Amino acid sequence: MQTLDIISVNIWQIIISLCNLVIIFLIMKKFLFKPVKDMIAKREAKVNEVLDEAKQERAEAEKTKTLWEEKMAASDEEADRIIKKAVAKAGKRSELIIGNANSKADEIVRQAKAEAELEHKAAEESIRHEIVTLSSALTGKLLEREINPDDHSELIDEFINEIGEIS
Amino acid sequence: MPEKTTAFKVRDILFLIMTVLPIVCGIVIRVLFVPSSDGIEISGAHIFFNMDFPVSPLIISEAQVNSWLVMISLLFLCLYLTNGIKENIHTKRQVIAEWIVETVEKLVKDNMGDYFTGFAPFVAAIMALSAFSSLMSLTGMFPPTSDLNIVAGWAFLVFILITYYKMKCGPLHYLKSFAEPVPFLAPLNIISEVATPISMAFRHYGNILSGSVISVLIAAALQGLTHLVLGWLPGWLGEFPFLRVGIPAFLSLYFDLFSGLLQAFIFAMLTMLYIGGAFSLEDYIARKQKKIKTKSTT
Repeated sequence: MQTLDIISVNIWQIIISLCNLVIIFLIMKKFLFKPVKDMIAKREAKVNEVLDEAKQERAEAEKTKTLWEEKMAASDEEADRIIKKAVAKAGKRSELIIGNANSKADEIVRQAKAEAELEHKAAEESIRHEIVTLSSALTGKLLEREINPDDHSELIDEFINEIGEIS
Repeated sequence: MPEKTTAFKVRDILFLIMTVLPIVCGIVIRVLFVPSSDGIEISGAHIFFNMDFPVSPLIISEAQVNSWLVMISLLFLCLYLTNGIKENIHTKRQVIAEWIVETVEKLVKDNMGDYFTGFAPFVAAIMALSAFSSLMSLTGMFPPTSDLNIVAGWAFLVFILITYYKMKCGPLHYLKSFAEPVPFLAPLNIISEVATPISMAFRHYGNILSGSVISVLIAAALQGLTHLVLGWLPGWLGEFPFLRVGIPAFLSLYFDLFSGLLQAFIFAMLTMLYIGGAFSLEDYIARKQKKIKTKSTT
């Protein structure tokens, strides 16, 4: 088999070698650099996405935090308001109840007083009646004749009234 | 860590086999077709195929075949490195792939400027092709880089790129650059322009070739030395080159491994410097603005 000389220049060999380098450049570009760079770009995009998401979530969290804080403050106020309202209501109610009770008690007292007065009157009446009968009996005995109490009742009443006025 | 699918594993194994297979093929081809040489013989690549063609005969030599094998190997190595690449790193090879890409891009950016970021794959291609071609000599194959034609092809491509980037600022600007700093130095400038690719090609080729030449010479010398020192031993013991065991491996460490990688780096570095130096962004922008101005006035 033949061999080339140590220093031999052959134009076709040079061109083939030149094409080889171009081909290996294309191979490197397409199969090594492109996938790796694509992947790096993707990774960058992903990282950016995650960072953006985190930022967004943080902003949202801050928003909700302020919202809750506001709500908390508002709820404190509302609680105060409700308590005050309840206290006011309870006060009003208790006043009402006390007023009612007082008026009821007054009525009861008044009724009792009226009843007592009525009873007193009835008792007076009965006492007067008894006195009339007694006095009529007494006078009847004294006059030794029967006096009709109905006939003389007017007289007796007058008498008793006079006694009452004196006493 | 996500589970590796069967398809991923199958592809992995396929790519790895296809990466190694070309090298094995190369060794087989060498064993089958290239006769072993005795003694000191320094020659060029073996010719597998020779055909008459215009200008000069079309020759497919060992160097060509080996560089194609390296290319196939590199293709599948790239596929293997980027196999199953994902946003979240889950394989070691992805780290390696990213490291390669980032390192080369940084190197290109540092040496050529941001305008030439697209040159990263080209520089990586030069480095990979040159380094792997030179390292082929470790397997006993003919390293394509020790054939002048191979390296001349690369250097010629670099020369085309240099000229293209010099022309980018206008043909007149390009011609004027030869008359600097003084017009009568123009012949020297032209010579230096032509010398660039030639020096690049011969530097690379010469370093790799000299490595193999020295390896052959030292192997022969060691054989002679063994014969001189241990020749009195009886029978085959006297014939056996004891000193050739082990010692050439250390020399090969320098001449094949270190020199090969260094030359790949130097070639890539020179490519970057020459192409980067051929193009001045300020001139280019100034020319563009001038063009726009003349367009707007007419």
